[in-house]
Amino acid sequence: MNVSELTLLVLRIGFLLLLWMFIFGIVYALRSDLFGQRVRKMQTDAAPVAAAAFPASAVPAAVPVAAAAEAFTAPVARASPAGQDTPAAQAGTATSQNTTRLVITSGPKAGTEFPLGADTITIGRSSDSSLVIRDDYTSTHHARLMLWHDEWMLQDLDSTNGTFLAGSRVTVPTKIPLNATVKIGATSFELRR
Amino acid sequence: MQSLSKASALRARPATEPVRRLHLPQKLRNLELFLLLIACFINASSVVLVQLGALGELDPTLVLLGAGLSVLVISLHVVLRFVARDADPFILPIASVLNGIGIAMIYRIDIADQESGWQSAAVRQTVWSALAIFCAIVVLLVIRNHRVLFRYTYIAGLIGVLLLFLPLVPGLGKEVSGARVWISVGSFGTFQPGEIAKIALAVFFAGYLVRNRDSLSMVGKKILGARFPRFRDLGPILVVWALSMSVIIFQRDLGTALLYFGLFLVMLYLATGRLSWVILGMGLFLGGALIASQTLDYVNGRFTNWLDALNPAVYDADGGSFQLVQGLFGLAKGGLLGTGWGQGRPEITPVPQSDYIIASLGEELGLAGIFAILALYLLFVARGFRIGFAGQDDFGKLLAVGLAFVVALQCFIVIGGVTRVIPLTGLTTPFLAAGGSSLVANWIIAALLLRLSDTVRNQPRLVV
Repeated sequence: MNVSELTLLVLRIGFLLLLWMFIFGIVYALRSDLFGQRVRKMQTDAAPVAAAAFPASAVPAAVPVAAAAEAFTAPVARASPAGQDTPAAQAGTATSQNTTRLVITSGPKAGTEFPLGADTITIGRSSDSSLVIRDDYTSTHHARLMLWHDEWMLQDLDSTNGTFLAGSRVTVPTKIPLNATVKIGATSFELRR
Repeated sequence: MQSLSKASALRARPATEPVRRLHLPQKLRNLELFLLLIACFINASSVVLVQLGALGELDPTLVLLGAGLSVLVISLHVVLRFVARDADPFILPIASVLNGIGIAMIYRIDIADQESGWQSAAVRQTVWSALAIFCAIVVLLVIRNHRVLFRYTYIAGLIGVLLLFLPLVPGLGKEVSGARVWISVGSFGTFQPGEIAKIALAVFFAGYLVRNRDSLSMVGKKILGARFPRFRDLGPILVVWALSMSVIIFQRDLGTALLYFGLFLVMLYLATGRLSWVILGMGLFLGGALIASQTLDYVNGRFTNWLDALNPAVYDADGGSFQLVQGLFGLAKGGLLGTGWGQGRPEITPVPQSDYIIASLGEELGLAGIFAILALYLLFVARGFRIGFAGQDDFGKLLAVGLAFVVALQCFIVIGGVTRVIPLTGLTTPFLAAGGSSLVANWIIAALLLRLSDTVRNQPRLVV
């Protein structure tokens, strides 16, 4: 069998094309890394209605909750900058001892609980977050909860729409009071005993 | 509005999803299988093209070369389906393509050198691949959670240092072209323990820095906007610096020293977030290398070959730049699209199948092919960084980034050396180059990254 120059030329270019198609195939498969996770499509039976009503209704609905939570936790929030920073004085701060779960209080999955261990909880639209929130307002890597010296801290990871603790936007890592509302996009949650 | 929120409350599900993993389709694994089949096709077609180009005919007995690797990587895929269902789906196909292209190139050099049977480096490379993938499977089966490694931090450090200096033991070590980084294992061949040492040291650095980073990151004086560490906190970096300098002096291997020191520096930077460590470390290494280039003949020679490569006197000198310049000529001959598999003359360059495999590939696949290979490395390393970024525990984060960075730095050192960006130092191109120890080490790195990515995705999680 003798192979002509032309066949070899075609095969050579074909091989390079194949190699590059493989690479672009991989890049296409990881497009969510480059452009962020897709916004969720509501998959349950009530989906179309909820999806249509979602942006308009969910945000105002969440406001009274946040406001109420602010009123509820205000004394605690004011108490901690006042200087009684000893662990004993902070009965209100969520620590690894007094906190066992994260409870979703509003949003599509209100009422759901999530057990807390000693690990950092990452929040975002990316599928490798511990708490995946797939709505229009959540960034791919939005925020995280972590234990610093046994206390739960909330850190915003430069999210587009912000992370709100008891109604005010979080800019630096902040201690989370027990039962205070953390709001990310259309979802709010609390840390509870 | 109220009714809607009530309705959503009614739809709320219990916290822990019922266990139904058995029925879930393994999306990631299916994607991996799809990419793996393309990878095997690429590997098979590169062997076929080598035969068409170099022999002008198909030799069916040696198509087994490609088939052997395909069976191996698919068996690794099957193991992943059982022990790491959520592992990253891209690492295995990328590593397979690199390994397969490497075998095809080595086979092509064998044809030029008219080697066959057990003398053939390609057959030996395939056997080493089998061993390496077997090691990767063992790692996946034994290490079910990467945090186990955290317990063995100091043992890993000890093993790393011992492996690093094993070639200096008289009777065991073996000197190959000046560098004393090999040990001979009976009649079986030679082994480069330093390759395995890089994994052990990555584990050690990760564990050590997670335990001790506070004292390295918190205190110190501020000079020119960067916080510099206190003098007494310089201990660790000086120890690692002394270690890599002794590699340069006693083992006469510049590349290995740079690899370990760079690894430590990057992990230190990650753990502390302070640029001053990088400035300090680079200053230390450059100072050391500069002194070495003045006092040690072989380092000085490397620098001359690099800076004055095209000078006829340097080109013709014993241990001069002949190899480097031949590699560059090969790359130039390749041009944009290359000469095609089996139609160039990469065998003119000394050691075209190990240190200079990139020049050989550049000649036959051209710039387009070299960039494809670099893109594959880029994707591999990016996956490692990504796993580190998504990780929930600090040890796992540091380990993933450290392992990925070691691959990246090794590529830079060897490809940069071949293309005359930095002085040439002998290291193997990960997955591509002929060399058993390098293959084993890199497949173990791939296995560890797969295990880490599976742990990251397997954290308890909630999807809203």
